[in-house]
Amino acid sequence: MRRILLAAAVACAPLTATANPSISAIIDDHILPRFEALASTSQALSKAAMQNCDPTSDDLRTAYGVAFDVWVSTSHLRLGPTEVDDRAFALAFWPDSRGATPRALATLISDEDPIGLDAAAYSEVSIAARGFYALEFLLYDETLMQPSEYHCALVQTVTTDIAATSSAIHDDWHSHKDVLLSPGPDATYRSEEEVLQEMLRALTAGLQFTQDSRLGRPLGTFDRPQPARAEARRSGRSAKHVTLSLMSLQDLASHLSVSDANLSDTLNRQFEDALGKLATLNDPVFAGVADPQSRLKIEVIGQSIGTIRTTVQTELGPTLGVAAGFNSLDGD
Amino acid sequence: MEAGRRQFIAGLLATGLVPRPAWADAGSPSFLSAAALPDGTYVLCGIDADLNITFQLPLPARGHAAAAHPLKPEAIAFARRPGTFAIVIDCTTGVQKAILNAPTGRHFYGHGAFSADGTLLYTTENDYEAGRGRIGVWDVASGYVRIDEWDSGGIGPHDIKRLPDSDVLVVANGGIDTHPDSGRTKLNISTMKPNLSYVQNGTVIETVELPPEMHKNSIRHLAVSQDGHVAFGMQWQGDGVPLSLVGQHYRGGEIDLMQATPDQMRDMQGYVGSIAYVEEDITIAVTSPRGGAIQFYETASSQCIGSLFTVDVSGVAAIRNGFLLTSGTGELASWAKADLVSSRKEVVQWDNHLVSV
Repeated sequence: MRRILLAAAVACAPLTATANPSISAIIDDHILPRFEALASTSQALSKAAMQNCDPTSDDLRTAYGVAFDVWVSTSHLRLGPTEVDDRAFALAFWPDSRGATPRALATLISDEDPIGLDAAAYSEVSIAARGFYALEFLLYDETLMQPSEYHCALVQTVTTDIAATSSAIHDDWHSHKDVLLSPGPDATYRSEEEVLQEMLRALTAGLQFTQDSRLGRPLGTFDRPQPARAEARRSGRSAKHVTLSLMSLQDLASHLSVSDANLSDTLNRQFEDALGKLATLNDPVFAGVADPQSRLKIEVIGQSIGTIRTTVQTELGPTLGVAAGFNSLDGD
Repeated sequence: MEAGRRQFIAGLLATGLVPRPAWADAGSPSFLSAAALPDGTYVLCGIDADLNITFQLPLPARGHAAAAHPLKPEAIAFARRPGTFAIVIDCTTGVQKAILNAPTGRHFYGHGAFSADGTLLYTTENDYEAGRGRIGVWDVASGYVRIDEWDSGGIGPHDIKRLPDSDVLVVANGGIDTHPDSGRTKLNISTMKPNLSYVQNGTVIETVELPPEMHKNSIRHLAVSQDGHVAFGMQWQGDGVPLSLVGQHYRGGEIDLMQATPDQMRDMQGYVGSIAYVEEDITIAVTSPRGGAIQFYETASSQCIGSLFTVDVSGVAAIRNGFLLTSGTGELASWAKADLVSSRKEVVQWDNHLVSV
């Protein structure tokens, strides 16, 4: 060991607060309830599809909406059990810039591929043909929702697969929570600070995804707005997803900023600002991106999320030992 | 008189005796680095061996890496992904000589390399509708006209280097599919498959891949040793701590993954920002701005042999008997073995890469 810790400076902002964020509170109040709800609502979705696979069935569409809502509120928690066997992607393959989802589903349907009848084997199909976004095509896309015996079985297979994936994630969290609760020199996380930094990454990545993809995709550019790229627009859920994700991220942010009342207030106010603007937008699929006046309102929501991201990076990060570096925040 | 002078110059030109500008005329910068200024604008800087800034030229947006022409004092500053411009800069006058625009349907990744004789420039690019990596080929003499385009051998080509004494290019196909309509959102993490491809005259002549369990390790940045070894730094896209973030390869052989202790691996936070061969190629230095860490790997043993820690460190380049580091904090520091030789702080934020001229 020739060179150890010869550093000019080591990044470690002092913790100004008296009480640190509680990891067990984040697990018990934020993480576990979400995955538990994901497992139970996905199970209910699968049951609804077994009872009635008609894509226009109210019961099926309602169960779909309930389970998808939970996923969106959970989708920033990309660590541990969601990453095993690419489970998060198996639930949510989006954005799909190259149209892989409708293409894969159309092929399955036109070939009446037997794998579409076999829930246990379905995890072997293209990941683009699995999960909530694939199911949206089967329930809401004019071409891909055409009822047939095969279509019915495929809806049941996809929902069973969603339920199995959700339940596997939930089961694994029972043991994975101990990984977060027991940092140590030889453990996955070396300190509580590293665990909290993982939570901060989830918050940061969630905000980025919502701003760049959920809002950024339909916004496109001023000259080329892309309303057809809005997330889950066929089921009219695009703006709802932004709201759900922001509410969930707000909850996580409040846990992480608990030791600094001023910062906590600032973040809360910034989340409320973005959510308030969404509430008055009245444009469920961001169709307004193509009109200069209504587009501005959607751009402003994106900017509000950008403001939250800046606060998280420059103020919350340093309280958790993450310096807001030029390269560390945004390298390539 | 005037006519006579012109004739004299014409005569000299005909004989090829007019001294062409050389790198010495550019204040002899030893390094190039993109940077951000306090007012939020972006520049490309020349840096000399004594760590002085020799020139500072404005860029229209954030830069990433640069490529120095092998003979002329001319550099290409590349836009950061997914930028579509690259600027040819005369480093003696500070004048922008030409601008390269990525063709329709392409964007740059931020890296490029010159051919051995300096007549061609190669750029890594994304054919984003097809989701396929490309290498743009530009003719230098005619003012950087695009003359060809090759397959990069994979998805998401990032860094590109030329092997010594040859025109074989080595490309880090990072494996990550992105599309400008979703910013930097990664579209294929579950199926990504990075590789190292060697390209000669438009043909992929060799490709090596990582073991399957490491398919989420994006091969991103490259360094080439004097004898043609290729060192590569990776960025982990999976969960938890990766097995390795640094590898080495020599044409015709297998990939050699460098080893570090679990603790050392965690210091890097799954991310290598820059990589360089240092100390006469016996050591590979890698930086992690996320971890604020620099690690040193001994090529002979493939082991991590030590670390340094500096906030937001990213750029690294070899100097005689040591190495130079740059940081987002503005720090420039030269090291010899384990000793800090000199350092200074500029009021700029040094960007990702420090390029040796």
